[in-house]
Amino acid sequence: MTTPTEPSTDGLFPIGRPTPLGIYLRDLWARRDYIVRVPLNDLRSQNAHTLLGGAWLVLNPLLQVGVYFLVFGVIMPIDRGVDSYLVFLTLGVFAFHYSQRIISDGARSMVSSMGLIRTLRFPRATLPLSNSVGQAVAFGPVFAVMLVVVVAHGNAPTARWLLLPVLFALQSMFSLGASFAAARFNHLYRDLENLLPFVFRLLFYVSGVLYSVDHYVDDALLRGLFALNPMYVYVTAWRWVMVGGPATVVEAAAAVAWALVALVAGFAVFRAGEQTYGRTG
Amino acid sequence: MTALALRCVGAEVTYTIRSHRPLIRDLLRGQRPAAQQVHAVRGVTFDVHVGESVGVVGPNGSGKTTLLQATTGLLPVSAGEILVRSVPAFLGVQAVLRNQLTGRRNIEVGLLAQGLDRAAVDDLVPAVVEFTGLGDAIDMRMETYSSGMRARLHFSVATATSPEILLIDEALAVGDRAFREKSARRLDEHRADSGTVLLVSHDLGEIRRSCDRVIWLQDGQIVADGPTDEVLAAYEAS
Repeated sequence: MTTPTEPSTDGLFPIGRPTPLGIYLRDLWARRDYIVRVPLNDLRSQNAHTLLGGAWLVLNPLLQVGVYFLVFGVIMPIDRGVDSYLVFLTLGVFAFHYSQRIISDGARSMVSSMGLIRTLRFPRATLPLSNSVGQAVAFGPVFAVMLVVVVAHGNAPTARWLLLPVLFALQSMFSLGASFAAARFNHLYRDLENLLPFVFRLLFYVSGVLYSVDHYVDDALLRGLFALNPMYVYVTAWRWVMVGGPATVVEAAAAVAWALVALVAGFAVFRAGEQTYGRTG
Repeated sequence: MTALALRCVGAEVTYTIRSHRPLIRDLLRGQRPAAQQVHAVRGVTFDVHVGESVGVVGPNGSGKTTLLQATTGLLPVSAGEILVRSVPAFLGVQAVLRNQLTGRRNIEVGLLAQGLDRAAVDDLVPAVVEFTGLGDAIDMRMETYSSGMRARLHFSVATATSPEILLIDEALAVGDRAFREKSARRLDEHRADSGTVLLVSHDLGEIRRSCDRVIWLQDGQIVADGPTDEVLAAYEAS
């Protein structure tokens, strides 16, 4: 047997140990081309078996808003305390669905790449992260539709629009963080992906997507409680930025706080499970 | 003496297999599903030098695959330490990348996941496609592939980046003769390039051909470690 005493271990490093944060982030950075390119290719091939192809990226959000507008704007046109219901609805639905897509697809990102995980060693955070990047890119056409609806309704761009990148970044950070946590839990128990559609359905109704919370809830304390719901916070922020809808300092602070807390905590939760991905038991 | 490529010091790998994850019913009753602690690798110590080709033999369940997986960082070591010069590439039979993608896209995904940048991937893909010898099948979804075709694709992807250390787990056994010859040639080039190989195989002929040294594992421990002829003679006699 070779006696492992003589040769020097210079240049060797331990493997199979949790990677220190700095090196983990460096390895993640080295995967940046994966993180951007793979979801782009997926987007391209996603509509491969459809007649309309890439047009679905625009059609899908249009149809969503169309259905809600038909039901709640035309068939049941009650007063929801907003001026232009179509604009109100478009901003709400698109903002809500952006986070929903990141989180629910992110939850499945580990489970759906099991083969890759079991075969290759790479920082697993690559997977939820690349999902988020893909969703952010897919938001491009959605945002274009949003702009057309807003401007066509006579809303000229204001200085507040300069805050759009900030808002988009904050909401993306929050959603990515939540998707990190969701990816870990869903890898542990797939129950989560069965549950998530209902969680989002519930959130959809309590986040003021279809009606103005401001119009129905006067109590400041109660409004404060709404700020605890990140989806409400971002939906409200989009309206405030784009068409000057009502918002308070509490909600603005919540938008920042949710982004930071979710990203840091979600990443920490995800990384704590790094060694478990791809294994059962 | 040449530099070390990898060093295992008292490495142990233990993992738990359960029939299923605890269900809510089990948790409420305070029961855990029958869990089995598998102590697959029990204190293994050896050095591999740069440019060495080491065969690993042993009966089924002796911890060969587990040892390789721990060496590439896919499984954590529960005690001891494994040191490496660079992250080894692991080649296994059950290799699936992403089943719903074509072979070509899998090559791309595999190379990107290994940390190559876009430009390098674009440069490499045609050569890797060529090496797989899969022909038109390269543009078919991977779920349509046979195990031999998967192994070819995976071998081609893993060796394309010229990793310094290559861990091969029976991966060559499933290819057809032409591909085995081709991969043997690539392994020779790899060795000539002072690459390091750890080869798990039940094909002792293959080990004789390509390894100068053999480690014999049994029940997660090393029974013998030495020149190929000596160790294989003892192994075959056992």
